[in-house]
Amino acid sequence: MNSGGTDTKKRQLTLYFGPQHVGMVGNFSITLTVEGDTIQKAAANPGFLHRGFEKMLEDSTYIQGFPFVCRINVMDPDPNEQVYAMAIEELSGLEVPPRGQYLRTIILEMSRLASHLGWLWAYANELGFDTVGHWAMAQRDYFLDLFDMITGGRVYHIYIWPGGVRRDMPAGFAAKMRGTLDGLEKSFRDYDAVFFNNRVFRKRVEGVGVISQGDALRLGVTGGNLRATGLARDVRKVEPYAAYDYMDFEIPTMPDGDSYARAMVIRGEMKQSASIIRQALDKLPAGPAWNRVPNPFKWRIPPGEAYVRMESARGELGAYAVSDGTDKIHRMAYRVPSYPHGILVLENLLQGMNIADVGHMLLSLNIAAPEIDR
Amino acid sequence: MREEAIKQDIENRFSASSVTVPRRQRIIISLPKDSLFSFIAFMKEEGFLHLSSIICVDWIEEDEFELVYHLTSFEEGIHAMVKTRISRTEGTYQSMIPLFEHAQTYEREIHEMFGVDFIGNQRLTPLLLTDWKEIPPMRKDFNTREYSERMFEHE
Amino acid sequence: MDRANIRKAIKDPHKWGEKYSLWVTYFCTGCGIMEIPPTITARWDAERFGVKPMATPRQANLFLITGYVSIKTLKAIIISYEQMPNPKYTVAFGSCPIDGGLYYTSYNTINHLDRYLPVDGWIAGCMPRPEAIFIAVTKLWKMIEGGMVDGYKRYEENIDYYRRNQERVLGREFIESSPAPMTEEP
Repeated sequence: MNSGGTDTKKRQLTLYFGPQHVGMVGNFSITLTVEGDTIQKAAANPGFLHRGFEKMLEDSTYIQGFPFVCRINVMDPDPNEQVYAMAIEELSGLEVPPRGQYLRTIILEMSRLASHLGWLWAYANELGFDTVGHWAMAQRDYFLDLFDMITGGRVYHIYIWPGGVRRDMPAGFAAKMRGTLDGLEKSFRDYDAVFFNNRVFRKRVEGVGVISQGDALRLGVTGGNLRATGLARDVRKVEPYAAYDYMDFEIPTMPDGDSYARAMVIRGEMKQSASIIRQALDKLPAGPAWNRVPNPFKWRIPPGEAYVRMESARGELGAYAVSDGTDKIHRMAYRVPSYPHGILVLENLLQGMNIADVGHMLLSLNIAAPEIDR
Repeated sequence: MREEAIKQDIENRFSASSVTVPRRQRIIISLPKDSLFSFIAFMKEEGFLHLSSIICVDWIEEDEFELVYHLTSFEEGIHAMVKTRISRTEGTYQSMIPLFEHAQTYEREIHEMFGVDFIGNQRLTPLLLTDWKEIPPMRKDFNTREYSERMFEHE
Repeated sequence: MDRANIRKAIKDPHKWGEKYSLWVTYFCTGCGIMEIPPTITARWDAERFGVKPMATPRQANLFLITGYVSIKTLKAIIISYEQMPNPKYTVAFGSCPIDGGLYYTSYNTINHLDRYLPVDGWIAGCMPRPEAIFIAVTKLWKMIEGGMVDGYKRYEENIDYYRRNQERVLGREFIESSPAPMTEEP
């Protein structure tokens, strides 16, 4: 430590931020080189949640893969199932009936809402707005109740299936869903007053962690973090999957690329998600919700390759599948949105920031550690 | 169709390539490994500005690794898969960092999981694993079940 | 609390305090952590049971191991566990720490957590719902009352066994750098 200001030489220290750290949400670690309170260099250190899914998928049949893939991202599990199912469908030529596509849209948007509300809890908590955190987490729990009702599980659902979904909507689900969405939309007034429009919050986040549009494109940023730099790019519009072609929704963007812009993009997305779920419930076609899958023990998929992608809560989620004609996949690789965000973008952003900003930045970029590690 | 136009363009410029259009919004291009770098530079100029990921596939019977570069053009809505094969025993290839900075992380992972060396990438340090002593785990000849039983089922 | 309970509490305030102030180490070790935020916030409110997250392991006495343990995490878990003061309790979530569960064949997750650390309780299911966590807490109370939670004592007594297994997975270097676990009672 320096004394009295006469000694201007500062000591460089190496600081391990996480995995056991109160500012760290998720099992992730960053090695910081600090001088005083300023970060000179940050090196992300992932791998605490590495389970080797891609290896285990090569060792299991196509249907056995479903319990694995949803666990790639615990905050937002359904998109991982969706890309896996889409890849299998593309390789095998299996069709999904319209009702199945609409039900998939509903479950994917519910997952996005649950993920964003979880983010709101974590972000509000990190910045000291505990009340908002409590509200958001309780609100998320009502969506988990709905998941429970339709799939039987609160967190992991294994609901999306090749050729459709695993079961149809139970009676009373639509009404309960509408009620929960009403509750969410009503509570935006409170979230705005206490959090998003709060002067304390805006002072803390405005102008912090700016990513320019050029940097974002250079470093492979996608999703809400890219939309916060002013580019309206969304896989749901570029390459519509499920029933997004028939939905009317906007892509929220913000021009500045700072933490505030990213938070406001997520806020806008929650509103759009609620509207998409309402539309899907209104337009839900009659008919079967799934097409029959061949006997899973004998299901061989013709050789070929497919890349499928979609928009998860964090950005572009892709899956590259290679089949060699056997009953097991030859290679299944995931392209996860947190991967560029959590390593290079984060390391670049943290340079020159304060130690107090580390946890804030991790959440502002909406990084999911399990997704990076897989 | 825009995909067919791009296919024609590529076939005219790079005679060694084989291009297929499996469906709308997808192009698959296979190239020999020496022309890949200049090809990706060409694609970047054509508007394929987003490198989605780099994926390695182990073809153990042919003794080759296949590197698949996923490039996206958001303006055209087209996703291109650029593939090349490298020797599995040699396992070296040139880095794409001069074209796409974030290729660094993907190459780090491929280095760790498959053992491919990328010349020009200064940061091929361990990413997900710690103190790994066996052959790289994503290679087809690594048996994860046998390893798990040997390491964790002792007593 | 009724009169009889007050008398009991006064007789043994140490145990009473231990029981109703289970402070959890703030460490998201696996995917089961996703059920902790709902559990500690308004809807389920774990603070009714005296359970709340603590910033550092040095102030905590309950370690929730929430799901699968990868090798890298195991290192951090052991370091955190040894920093916790006695008496300390560990509860493991889901089937993955019991026998590897879904990740039995994985090359990077251990299969039996109790070979590396003493575990006082297991909660089955993937992932355990908040109700299951509360049932585990009430069971832990009963065990504390009966003096049946002896994980930390077992760790000290059988330190050679645990260290041997840890060394097998984490390497000699890690063992040499870790100090002996705390032995004194508070």
